[in-house]
Amino acid sequence: MVGKNCFAIASDRRLGVQLQTIATDFQRISKIHDRLFIGLSGLATDSQTLYQRLVFRHKLYQLREERDMKPETFASLVSALLYEKRFGPYFCQPVIAGLSDEDKPFICTMDSIGAKELAKDFVVAGTAGESLYGACEAMFKPDMEPDELFETVSQALLSSVDRDCLSGWGGHVYIV
Amino acid sequence: MTKQHPAWSPYDNNGGTCVAIAGADYCVIAADTRMSTGYSILTRDYSKICKLADKCVMASSGFQADVKALQKLLAARHLIYQHQHNKQMSCPGMAQLLSNTLYYKRFFPYYSFNVLGGLDNEGKGCVYTYDAVGSYERVGYSSQGSGSTLIMPFLDNQLKSPSPLLLPAQDAVTPLSEAEAVDLVKTCFASATERDIYTGDKLEIVVLNKGGIHREYMELRKD
Repeated sequence: MVGKNCFAIASDRRLGVQLQTIATDFQRISKIHDRLFIGLSGLATDSQTLYQRLVFRHKLYQLREERDMKPETFASLVSALLYEKRFGPYFCQPVIAGLSDEDKPFICTMDSIGAKELAKDFVVAGTAGESLYGACEAMFKPDMEPDELFETVSQALLSSVDRDCLSGWGGHVYIV
Repeated sequence: MTKQHPAWSPYDNNGGTCVAIAGADYCVIAADTRMSTGYSILTRDYSKICKLADKCVMASSGFQADVKALQKLLAARHLIYQHQHNKQMSCPGMAQLLSNTLYYKRFFPYYSFNVLGGLDNEGKGCVYTYDAVGSYERVGYSSQGSGSTLIMPFLDNQLKSPSPLLLPAQDAVTPLSEAEAVDLVKTCFASATERDIYTGDKLEIVVLNKGGIHREYMELRKD
């Protein structure tokens, strides 16, 4: 979710296999660099592999360009990587959030074969996606300060995952 | 051998969303007025809300042909009840009747997702929520239909019902005033209309309180 010169990215903490819970403290959101985060929902092994590939590509980029990747560029990279596997995809839905030039927040999500969806307000992904759409749509206000943004994102996340049996066990929220 | 898929289905989904909220001495029942099939709109002005008794109103989404048949049946049963008992059926009574009527067709169900709202025998607001085969529960608020997954978490957040497992049993009805509840319903539908393609056009709100029944409409996005 986008705020005033800041963004929030949040996820739940459950890792499960259908009805069985495997972990209650699973990290779904990972850092690419200080101003760019990616959250990957879906199959855990695919999200781990995808994350490792993305870190690899970003480190090479840093060596060649001597700077961090911009979020827009990174989103295109993720989209390209996913579409490479068009006929045998990664079972992941990424949510990308970062601060672009002049601290302008950038968010986007993709389906599992790399179709980008840019949004100005919020993006959602995962099994509780529909619930998240409803909660975020109702609670979102433009230009929220970081504190208010944190409250909004937390409330929207918790209410939505409480209605989904495959998500839950609390949340991780990153405000940048 | 791959599974053969039927070429014809007796059911269709006409979309739509219904919400009901119970208050201390009122009940708000609301539904959008869009009727669709597939990706097309059949009409922008179809009421999904039906008054079953003086103090009992039902809103149903799903397959409207089945909903119409269900409404007809319940109205007939209510008329018989009035002839036999010389009074209107209470809301809890109608709730049980609806459940039994739905389960009667357990093996060829009414494709209708119902929410019943009204005033109980003490004048307090009550809301009953159903699945397609008659499983029901009295709750403080509920939503059914295509937008229900979008609306329910928001209602949970705003109206958090106490857990039914608590002792002593706590009231599920909301302490909000009637005007606040109506405002909340309008907010819910405005949000659901943005993200659900089957919800929109117009919102019909029915409020039941000791003064009787009051109906109002609100425009929603038509895209």
